[in-house]
Amino acid sequence: MQVLILEALLLLFLIFITVCILISKDILACTIIYSAFSFCAVLTYFMFGSPDVAFTEAVIGTMSTIFFIAALKKVDRWCK
Amino acid sequence: MGKVLSTILMAVVTVLFCFCTVFLPPIGDVNSAPNQHVTPHYIEHAKEDTGSPNIVTATLADYRGFDTLWETSVMFVSGLTACLILMVNTEEGKKVLKKDKKGGAKNGQ
Amino acid sequence: MGNNKMKKPFGGIVLDSSFRIIIPFTLVYGIYILTHGEYSPGGGFQAGALLAVGIVLVRLIQGADKESFNITGAKAIVCAGVGTFIYAATGWLTLAGGGKFLDYTFLPVPMHHWGELHALGILMIEIGVTVCVMMTIIDIMDAIIERLDADEDEEVDDCER
Repeated sequence: MQVLILEALLLLFLIFITVCILISKDILACTIIYSAFSFCAVLTYFMFGSPDVAFTEAVIGTMSTIFFIAALKKVDRWCK
Repeated sequence: MGKVLSTILMAVVTVLFCFCTVFLPPIGDVNSAPNQHVTPHYIEHAKEDTGSPNIVTATLADYRGFDTLWETSVMFVSGLTACLILMVNTEEGKKVLKKDKKGGAKNGQ
Repeated sequence: MGNNKMKKPFGGIVLDSSFRIIIPFTLVYGIYILTHGEYSPGGGFQAGALLAVGIVLVRLIQGADKESFNITGAKAIVCAGVGTFIYAATGWLTLAGGGKFLDYTFLPVPMHHWGELHALGILMIEIGVTVCVMMTIIDIMDAIIERLDADEDEEVDDCER
């Protein structure tokens, strides 16, 4: 029963983070919040019983944050 | 007019797809066709067929190794495409980059 | 001569100490995951991503001019192709041994037990997948960073005139 509550909380938090990414106008803040999204996805995969996928998602989340910030140097930081 | 039409079309297609999922068996159903023939065979014979106690690796690399081959090749082609689009090494390409940037700076000011 | 280069500090003291402790551990852990993919959760894709993260960290801290882990764009793609080729070559080896494609029982290796032949085949496949994934990630990072550097060089040229 406690596991179900934990899973439900985590999924609700995922939806909340996604809405925050869609609303925000600062692209750098969106990138940082996206790495929090990736972390919640890691916890979700881990609770569903597949540690391989959780591992890979943790590594790819770190990598994609680095790539996004590197690609953000050439684009305007504030989207209108 | 075009936007309204495409929105209605998207809504109809979405409703159709969601309606069709009613006919699929529920997740984890014991009586569905793969769970009765394929899954018990994999679970019972994975250790002696492949010599590894990890059923995930045994399925990915031994029973379904052909699919993993094409998945790896798709990853290779995607990396090759990204590199071909982004890297600029010739003199002509650098001139085109410079012209694009000057045009962009003038538009911004 | 190599010892003198390794003993010079770079960056601040925090960067220096964390670099010297984290990178060897990451690389060794990546190879551990690759070889123990049959007994514990792991396998080729995880090991490739982890090794690539180690090398990306070296590139971010030390820059591209130093001599350690100097793998640039074109060489990385060639190595990714070699990784895919290793995977296919395992299949061709089993064909040459007399069985179907990717049927590990017919590998032409003088081992006696059936399960050990399968374990050897799985290890060869995972090495191919690891090399391909690692080189793809390093290559994409290299393409993004070189494109940034190319644009910055032109800005410097314009300002100097």
